[in-house]
Amino acid sequence: MIAKKPSRLSYLTTGIIKENPTLILMIGLCPTLATTTSARDALGMSVAASFVLILSNVASSLVRRFVQPSIRIPIFIIIISTFVTIIDYALQAYQPSLYRVLGVFVPLIVVNCIILGRAEAFAYGHGVFDSFLDGLGNSLGFTLLLVTMGSVREFFAVGTVFGKVLTPAWYRSAPMLFMIFPPGAFFLIGILKALVVKFKLGK
Amino acid sequence: MNSRTWMVLSLLITCLVAGFALSEVYAVTKPKVEQQRIDATNSALRQVLPTAQTFREVEPDSLWYGMEASGTKIGIVVRSGRRGYGGPVPVLVGLDLAGRIVGIKVASGAEGLKETPGLGLNATEEVFWKQFLGADSTVALRKDGGTIDAISGATITSRAVARGVAEAIRKYASHLKP
Repeated sequence: MIAKKPSRLSYLTTGIIKENPTLILMIGLCPTLATTTSARDALGMSVAASFVLILSNVASSLVRRFVQPSIRIPIFIIIISTFVTIIDYALQAYQPSLYRVLGVFVPLIVVNCIILGRAEAFAYGHGVFDSFLDGLGNSLGFTLLLVTMGSVREFFAVGTVFGKVLTPAWYRSAPMLFMIFPPGAFFLIGILKALVVKFKLGK
Repeated sequence: MNSRTWMVLSLLITCLVAGFALSEVYAVTKPKVEQQRIDATNSALRQVLPTAQTFREVEPDSLWYGMEASGTKIGIVVRSGRRGYGGPVPVLVGLDLAGRIVGIKVASGAEGLKETPGLGLNATEEVFWKQFLGADSTVALRKDGGTIDAISGATITSRAVARGVAEAIRKYASHLKP
């Protein structure tokens, strides 16, 4: 029993690669596909979603002893939407340029499956600090994938990464534009998923 | 306390705490958000009519007079929005009293531009809108017989900007010239 109990460190690390929410568990795909049209947008989305994920994990863990199982979902949704609204106001007030870029996808963090999923699957049954680590790990995993996808799509479709020019002028005059469209997102996540499967099965 | 009462009570407490927290955050951020909006409008107006010190809204959200500090009118700013690929493409056009275009600004995402990132959204870039400086009301894309180079892959957006600029010039003409 004691030997099988996962270590604190593993709470942090499983979310990054081994159980990467988006790439392995395949949840939270909507923001992954929609906001990765450039590296900067992807990073902005990751930061906003990470804020909500970590804090809602902590808050859900804090209230778990007072919440009966039958009403846990409504309570989680209230907690999550509260944090989403807070980050929405805060971005509007202090980071208007980032808010401008993310637009409707900030309020849509409410329906990000990763956040409700971690509150339900982890925070409801674990302590506050462990839930914080789990939220942080999953945030890092989400950020890693989003920034990777944003960078690759921006690189192929525009020829830049984080606005930095990385390709010769002849490429930028006729880039692979489709990478910035929805099919490009599906195409790329399919390739990444295939790589992960091959990598994991290859052992 | 039976479990049903506790169920209702715990939901009530959660909602109260959430509502209180949100009202606090809202009260703190509201003035900042309002200020950001005013600053954004003013800086956009100043970008297209740099010589003006103050602006007076003549038609709500579509026409402003630009004035010097003394109150002398030195130009007007017109906002137009022709249909692009994803919705109207808002364009701010600043004109001096002689009707020359002194500045153009294609709205960014926050101001309502819903074009495709990487394509139509590039209409906000200087290399595109600079072509319109000094244009008259016959302005059009090269494809439509004019002189403006469209953004590659975003003809519809480019055309919406060109038509918006032409509309702004016509509006200026009907507004300032008797």
